[in-house]
Amino acid sequence: MKRLISLLLVLCMTVTVLIGCDNKENNSESIFPARDITGIVQWGAGGGTDSLMRPLSSLAEKILGKSIVIQNKPGATGAIATQYVYEQDADGYTLLMGAENPQLYSMLGISELTYEDFEPVFIIGDEKVGIIVGKDSKYNSFTELIEDALANPGTISMTTTGTGGMPWSVSSFIKAITGATFKQIPFDSDAACLTAVLGGHADFTVAKVQSAIQSYKAGEIKFLTLLSLEEVDVLPEVPLVIEEYPEFKEYLPWGPFYGIFVKDGTSLEAIDVLSNAFIEAFKDESYQELLRGFNVTPLGLTGEEAKAYLLDWKRNTADAFYKSGAIDKSPEELGIK
Amino acid sequence: MNGLAYLFLPFQQPLLIVLVAIGVFAGIYIGAIPGLSGTMAVSLLVPFTFGWETNPAIVLMIGIFSGVVYGGSRSAILLNIPGAPAAVATSFDGYPLAKKGLAGEAIGIATVQSVFGGIIGVIALAFFAPVVTKVALKFAPRDYLLLSFMGMMLVGSLGSKSISRGLVTAAMGVLLGTVGMDPISAQHRFTFGNTYLLSGIDYVTAMIGLFGVSEALVQIKDLSIEPVKQKADRIVPSFSSIKKYLPLTIRSSIVGVIVGALPGAGGDIAALLTYDQAKRTVKNPEVPFGEGAVEGVVAPESANNAAIGGAFIPMLTMGIPGDSVTAVMLGALFIHGLHPGPMLMVETPHLFYLIVSSLALSNIFLLIFGLTGIKVFTKLIEIPKGRLLPIIIMLSVVGSYAVNNNLYDVFWMVAFGIIGYLFKQYDYPVGPMVLGIILADIIETNYRRSVISAGSILKFIGGIFTSPLSMFLLSIIIFSLLVQTEWYKRWRSKRDLKRYKQD
Repeated sequence: MKRLISLLLVLCMTVTVLIGCDNKENNSESIFPARDITGIVQWGAGGGTDSLMRPLSSLAEKILGKSIVIQNKPGATGAIATQYVYEQDADGYTLLMGAENPQLYSMLGISELTYEDFEPVFIIGDEKVGIIVGKDSKYNSFTELIEDALANPGTISMTTTGTGGMPWSVSSFIKAITGATFKQIPFDSDAACLTAVLGGHADFTVAKVQSAIQSYKAGEIKFLTLLSLEEVDVLPEVPLVIEEYPEFKEYLPWGPFYGIFVKDGTSLEAIDVLSNAFIEAFKDESYQELLRGFNVTPLGLTGEEAKAYLLDWKRNTADAFYKSGAIDKSPEELGIK
Repeated sequence: MNGLAYLFLPFQQPLLIVLVAIGVFAGIYIGAIPGLSGTMAVSLLVPFTFGWETNPAIVLMIGIFSGVVYGGSRSAILLNIPGAPAAVATSFDGYPLAKKGLAGEAIGIATVQSVFGGIIGVIALAFFAPVVTKVALKFAPRDYLLLSFMGMMLVGSLGSKSISRGLVTAAMGVLLGTVGMDPISAQHRFTFGNTYLLSGIDYVTAMIGLFGVSEALVQIKDLSIEPVKQKADRIVPSFSSIKKYLPLTIRSSIVGVIVGALPGAGGDIAALLTYDQAKRTVKNPEVPFGEGAVEGVVAPESANNAAIGGAFIPMLTMGIPGDSVTAVMLGALFIHGLHPGPMLMVETPHLFYLIVSSLALSNIFLLIFGLTGIKVFTKLIEIPKGRLLPIIIMLSVVGSYAVNNNLYDVFWMVAFGIIGYLFKQYDYPVGPMVLGIILADIIETNYRRSVISAGSILKFIGGIFTSPLSMFLLSIIIFSLLVQTEWYKRWRSKRDLKRYKQD
């Protein structure tokens, strides 16, 4: 009996190996995609990035006719996932699903890789961010906050998500334009940043519209300003930063974005197939509704448009970081301009 | 429909009750496998339930959440491998109980206490959510620091032979906890240019290696030892024993609710804190702690299930998740077009009552599923070692890979297994090392945060003495240290003697 079982097991394993090899040989000749695709998400399960990628993939896989298997490889602000996808073959079967962070890696010395080592497949959209304070805060406008910060440099406290995080980046923009500096207290997540402001442990923070809108509606916090060129649908009454400081126009639109990438060197045919599938999935009414729920501004960029968006984003950010002294190398030295 | 009517929503749709039951049942088994976490289980359900209606999706997730947190105790008691960090404290006394052939009793106690804790969590969520939110918001970084110090004091209680040995392994844990990107300035520490080291060492990986693989290695040395025959006659704890532990249960559950409601701390910290407090405050346990004290299972198990209700509180009152599972659920609710937060009770009150009622239901199912099938489960440790140990090692590899889908974590896990084996050979406790890795990050970041926000170290210390909450936490720490001193013990015995004479 035992012998029979072990014999069966050995047979099973051999067959599995044979089938596995067989599959790969066939693939190289047939049209893309011939097998399932893996999507590597830079952030943890259930995070903002993950929540946008999974539904989009489940719509796109119906169009592609093959499954998109999502795996989360969080860590080092997305550098682990980025490194992992870069180490895979440039065949279009491994997708990098991420947020804006890799655009900053080379500037901040987190990793050598940036999105320039990848080809954009699809940019889903970006989020608008704003400055928020507690409901009892003495500040009623962005100008008041900046004037106070200029009068008392480095004493007004703001919560950030650490070096390279969104609030930290925005503080660099503010410094580059107004010269105001703050006492920055880093937290683990944007939720913790908001909690600290709600609890009165810090003066203000920079929050995505999505994270703060519920507290705002309940009157727990005040939105001082929004970093946007045009009115944000859900917050029409909040003033835009360009009304008080028109110099911000130079850097906007700017905000966290979400996109899907493949390794540089992937064939154009494969990228086209993927891009078209994601465009179609993106246009689905259920996905558009989801984006509205998350207050994400839909972009839906592919190809050259996507590349232009990425380059603009990086150039603006590097420029502001350099002006504010957050990085030592000028955008020219970084090879961006 | 008013609030009470919403509360009975699941009873109008029997499907919802069935889904809670399925969730709890699946959750128990997922939770029992180290490395498979509630976060993972719930996030797998997000795309799965994408096309569903909202209510069934939520109740299934809640069922799984309750089941997973409880399930972690199973493997902690039976195999000395905590299924999740929140069950680490359960293994300290749960496994010694199993070694004595009392695994059935230990699981019975863990079940009843989890249900008690869970229900207290639900009550807190239903009636005291605004109060708990206020308390949670009061926690400044310095209070998180004091809280993690309290957790660190457990090192003193865990050293089997001497405190200094516990301190040695704890210090090594703290050192390993610093590997990776500095959480505040993104500087690389001990990464040697390797991208995969940037994210540091996952403490679940360390936990699986130090507890699971090291235990398997120790037992491989002597395969001839017959497994302990398990007495499975007394599983449901007697009413009198439940009554006896009730004060401890309630105390631990309250701590569980509050710590669970803090966005920066969850069930794992709650379980460690309450275990430590139980060990310090329970005067005469029938069996010493660490050798199979029932109190050592009661405290952490009630606390970590109470933390579930706690974790929902900031999510439903502020839209801020109390832990990683509620973070996933928050995302899922957004996908379904709901917006938990301060406006929840105005915009979608049914959601609040649905969560309360399905949490309550899941505790009932926890009791049913938890107390049935224990006999089969305890047979697990009666499996001959030659077959059980390979299974343990295989589960450890799968579990450590599953944490981040990272092969490096498997290497780390094996390394920790060998370190743990050497520790055990030379009688150094492994618990403090896990504690060091878990707490290093919280202590470091919160210390730096509080000094940055105070402006200077002196102002930071001043801040502790001017905040009532910080003073309260500090006095608990000082008191716990004081009762340990010779001076206090002498004073107490004198006092007892005096009382005795007066009588």
